[in-house]
Amino acid sequence: MFRTDEIIKASKLPPEGVAMSRKIDYIYFIPILFVTIVGTFHMHTALLCGDWDFWLDWKDRQWWPIVTPVTLITFCAAIQYYNWVNYRQPFGATLCILALGAGKWIAVYTSWWWWSNYPPNFVMPATAIPGALVLDITLLLTRNWTLTAVIGAWMFAALFYPSNWPIFAYSHTPLVVDGALLSWADYMGFMYVRTGTPEYIRMIEVGSLRTFGGHSTMISAFFSAFASSLMYILWWQFGKYFCTSYFYITDDRQRTTKVYDVFAYATLGPQADKAKLSGGKA
Amino acid sequence: MTAKHVFKLWMIRLCGVATLAVTPALDITPAFAHGERSQEPFLRMRTVNWYDTEWVGKSTKVNDVTELKGKFHLSEDWPRAVVKPTRTFINVGSPSSVFVRLSSKVNGTPMFVSGPMEIGRDYEYVVKLKARLPGHHHIHPMFAVKEAGPIAGPGGWMDITGRYEDFTNPIKTLTNETFDSETMGSMTGIGWHIWWIALGIFWVGFFAIRPMYLIRARVLAAYGDEILLDPIDRKVGVAVLVLTLVVVVVGYMAAEAKHPISVPLQAGEAKIKPMPIKPNPLTVDVIHAEYDVPGRALRMTLHATNNGTQPVTIGEFTTAGIRFTNKFGASRVDPNYPAELVATAGLTMDNEAPIQPGQTVDIKVESKDVLWEVQRLVDILHDPDQRFAGLFLSWTDSGERLINPVWAPVLPVFTRLGA
Repeated sequence: MFRTDEIIKASKLPPEGVAMSRKIDYIYFIPILFVTIVGTFHMHTALLCGDWDFWLDWKDRQWWPIVTPVTLITFCAAIQYYNWVNYRQPFGATLCILALGAGKWIAVYTSWWWWSNYPPNFVMPATAIPGALVLDITLLLTRNWTLTAVIGAWMFAALFYPSNWPIFAYSHTPLVVDGALLSWADYMGFMYVRTGTPEYIRMIEVGSLRTFGGHSTMISAFFSAFASSLMYILWWQFGKYFCTSYFYITDDRQRTTKVYDVFAYATLGPQADKAKLSGGKA
Repeated sequence: MTAKHVFKLWMIRLCGVATLAVTPALDITPAFAHGERSQEPFLRMRTVNWYDTEWVGKSTKVNDVTELKGKFHLSEDWPRAVVKPTRTFINVGSPSSVFVRLSSKVNGTPMFVSGPMEIGRDYEYVVKLKARLPGHHHIHPMFAVKEAGPIAGPGGWMDITGRYEDFTNPIKTLTNETFDSETMGSMTGIGWHIWWIALGIFWVGFFAIRPMYLIRARVLAAYGDEILLDPIDRKVGVAVLVLTLVVVVVGYMAAEAKHPISVPLQAGEAKIKPMPIKPNPLTVDVIHAEYDVPGRALRMTLHATNNGTQPVTIGEFTTAGIRFTNKFGASRVDPNYPAELVATAGLTMDNEAPIQPGQTVDIKVESKDVLWEVQRLVDILHDPDQRFAGLFLSWTDSGERLINPVWAPVLPVFTRLGA
C-alpha cells in the first residue's frame, strides 16, 4: 500500500540503521517534539488569546473568531515548515493543534475543574482541528507554501467559527433575568464568580465591525482569514530561520564555506577528516 | 571515595529526607485570605467607604439562596493615582465560585454588565447567591474599577453545608428550555472534541506508522521529494479534506436547526442612578489629622456644626471596612458584623456630649486600635500622597443615622507623646 520499502531502500541505510531510525522517531516524536509543542504553544495561546479561549462569555461574534485563528496559525506555520521542508511530512499544523488540545484539556481538568471548581462547560476550549487538517492537506496537495498561505490559511480561519458553532451554539440562547436580556453565555459568566476578572475585562462586541449591517461574524471571519494569511507567511519564515541547519567547513586552502546540507558532512568521504568544522549550527 | 566522604554524603541525604518528611507536619492549613490587607491603604480608605455590609444567612446548605448586601460611598477624596470610576462592576470576592451569583442589583438596577458611578455619591447593592461548594468561605463585596482593579470590601465568613454532588442550578430560557448551568453543553462539547481529536490522531498516525524523520530526510537530501510523496497520501488527504468539510457544514446546520434562536453576547453598560442625597443637618470637617505610629492611633480635630433641630451624637468612624466605635456607637453595630473588623472601644473624643442644635464645636477624636497595624493601614505612611478618608456615623435623638464623609491629609507622629 505504501512506498515504505522504496523509501527505505533509497535511504541507503543498513537494516540496523533503519531500526535505529524508527527508535529515534518514537523517542523524538512523542516525548520531545509533542511535549515541547504542548508546553510552548499552550503558553503562547494562553498569553495571546487566553481569555477568549478560557471563558464561555468571551466567545463573541467579533473578537473570538479573529484573535483565536490568528494566534493559532503561528506555530502551525512554523512547525509545518520544519516538517515539510526537512521531511515532506504534511501534519505539522494538526500536530500543533493536537498538542495544544492536550495542554488545554489538562488545564481544563486540573486548573479549572480540580483546582478552581469551574464546570467544564464554562471553560470549554474551542477546536481548531478542522482548520489544521485543511491547512495540512492544502500543503500536501499543492506542495507550495505560498498557495497554502493563500488557500489553506484562509480556510483555517474561515472554518473556525462554523466548526465551533456545534459546540457553542446553545450558549447564545436568550434568557431574561431581572428584566434584562442576556445570552446564556453572559449569564454563565455572571453566575460563576471570578473575583479577579470583573465583567468589564471582557473584550467583546466592541469596535466598528458592528456597523456592517449586523453581519459581524462574516466580516470578522474575512478579516481573520486575511490576517491569518499574513501571519502564516511571517511564521513560515520564522520556521525557516529557526529550523534551517547548516555548518561551516574550512578546506585545505583555508576557504570557509557555509553548508546547508547537513548530510554532506557524512558523504564528504576522506575529505571530511581533513575538513575543519567551525561554528554554525547543525 | 573514602569512608568519610560516604558518611558525609549519606548525612546530607538524610537531612534532605528528614526536611521533606517533617515539612507537612509543621503547617499545612489552607490559606483563607485573598490578600485584601496587602492592598494599599489609600485604595481601601480613599476610594470606596463601605457601610451596612451584611452577610445574610451565615450558614447555608448547598442549593440554598442567600444574600450579600450593603451600601458604599465613593469618596470625594478619590486618589489622583487611581482611574476615576467611569466603568465599574460590583463583584464578589470569594475563593472560586463557592456560590453562584443569581442576580446583582445596585440601587434596584440589575448590574450584569459594568457601568459608571459617581464620586461623592452613595449606592446600595444586593447580590443574590446560591450555595454551591461546601466549606468555610471568606466572602467580600468588591468594587472593581476598570484600569484600577478590584477594591476589596470587608470580608466575612459564610459556611456552606451539604454535598456538592447535590447542587443543581436549572434556569429557564426564553425558548422555554431548561438549562442546568453545571452540565449544559458539556457532553456535546466533549463529544465534538473527541471526534475531531480522533480524526486529527488518524491524520498524524497515518504518517507516523511509516518511517518519519531520519530516513525521509536522507532521501529528500539525496533525491528530492518525488519518492517521498506517496500517491496514497494524496488520496487519503482528499478523503480527509472532504470528510472535514462535510462534517463542519453538517454540524453547523444541525446546530442551527437545534438552536434557531440566538442572541449575541450582551456588552452594554449598566446605567445606575446614585441614591438620592439625603438632607444632613450635621456638617463635619477635619481641620487637623495625624497618625501616631507607636500609639497606633489616628487623631483628628473635627469642626462640626449641627444645623438641625435635634442633638446629634457621634458614634462611629469607619474606613476600609474597619469600624471604630465608642460605647454609643458600639450598641448600634450589627452583631453579625465580623468582630475582627470592629474596634468596639476604638473611638474616643475629648467631648462625648451630643452636639446641640445650632452648635458648632471643635472635637478632638482618636481612633485607636491594633487594627491599624493588623489591617496594614499603617502603610499609609509610605504613600506618596499621605491622606485618609472615611465616614463618621452619628445619630439624632430620634434615632436617625447621619453619615458624614471626611477626608484630610495625615501628618505622621513617630515618637510617643511626652517622650
